[in-house]
Amino acid sequence: MAEIQQSGGGNDGGKKRAKKQSTRVDMTPLVDLAFLLLTFFVLTSTFSKPKVLRMIFPEKLDQDNPQLKRPEVKDGLTILLTGDDKIYYYTGSLKAETEIIPTDFTKNGLRKVLIEKNAPLIKILKNLEMELAKANETDTATTNRIQRESKQAQQESKLIVLLKHDNEATYENVIDVIDEFLITQIAKYFVVEENLAEMETELLKKLNEQ
Amino acid sequence: MPKVKMPRSTPALDMTPMVDLAFLLVTFFMLTSSFRAPEPVIIDPPSSTTEKQIPKQVFMVIIDQEGRAFVDITNASVKMKVLKKMLAQFKAPGLTEEEVKQFTGVGPIGLKMGEIKTFMELETTERTAYVQRGIPYDTAASKLDKNELYYWAKFTKLEAHNDYKERENEAKLKNLDFDKSNYIQFAIKAAANAKYNVIQDIIEVFREAKVKEFQMITGLESGPES
Repeated sequence: MAEIQQSGGGNDGGKKRAKKQSTRVDMTPLVDLAFLLLTFFVLTSTFSKPKVLRMIFPEKLDQDNPQLKRPEVKDGLTILLTGDDKIYYYTGSLKAETEIIPTDFTKNGLRKVLIEKNAPLIKILKNLEMELAKANETDTATTNRIQRESKQAQQESKLIVLLKHDNEATYENVIDVIDEFLITQIAKYFVVEENLAEMETELLKKLNEQ
Repeated sequence: MPKVKMPRSTPALDMTPMVDLAFLLVTFFMLTSSFRAPEPVIIDPPSSTTEKQIPKQVFMVIIDQEGRAFVDITNASVKMKVLKKMLAQFKAPGLTEEEVKQFTGVGPIGLKMGEIKTFMELETTERTAYVQRGIPYDTAASKLDKNELYYWAKFTKLEAHNDYKERENEAKLKNLDFDKSNYIQFAIKAAANAKYNVIQDIIEVFREAKVKEFQMITGLESGPES
């Protein structure tokens, strides 16, 4: 089919010979079909499976049980998210003279601030990681100890970061900030459920008027 | 000079290697690709740098940018049980066994319990055109009995636990290995430009249903450059 025998048909001594039939099969339709299927699967398949961010929220506070009050954060970092993808932060507890500093989502914005604040913990974790890299894989005692120590360091971390947002903040911004927390290995962070406090809103307003 | 006679032959091409390759690729794509269930909404989730894979079995709440909520349960038997409980809880018109079975294949659903019977009676092709207005989730404590999303989460948590225990017992009886990671986890998949307040309401619903740990589904972003 794909090849037509050109020779033959000649008169060779009058002897009748069985015609040599070509064994070739025309593969064109097969190839057509194969490529059709190929194109279909290439176009419909999705490669990157979605990833997940793990979140843990504390149990609901019991209104009738005053003992379960949220602990006050004295020496922490508070991040404020507002609409239009704006982000601000301040350190310590909120007072009238607290300075609210605007920042952004880039590497030199929020991440730099977080790395600076979290430097002690990052240093400890880095040292432990280096130790782990040197340690023998079969040496479970050492790896367990390193894991325990890194967990302890995280628990003892003094830095507490709060994330607050106003009505206009988008989900994307919140995820971006939490992602930065993970990158900079912040051990203790909370997404606060209430909106911005009145004083914070006023300070932001003042800041924006300047 | 005699003319050089070119042998007349059709230009045949050996296509065997090409076919081999094509079929190899077809097989690869057929085996690796998984088909997505048709979704009533297209969600563009935000990206993050985590490398944690999505759990095998999830109870997923999908939030679009207008704040409509949809739910999906990947485990068919749990989905059927939860649906029956939901219909009983809200005294909605009951479904036939056939319709319940069909329900497991429709993907995410964003309907009030009262609408589900009408929806399931439609032809498969007509269902995509049906406007789904989302599952009600008013978080006010006084309206908890009308908060359908809360009951979806609550019943799923209960049934997921039962399902887990059942499979554990079965594995014990037959002396098989039991895959502990294979339990239903709670997940939120929300549009990047949804307001965070809406997501917070969903989190409140989860907390009300005593779900403290859940996964936020995100797209992949390249890792942090150091």
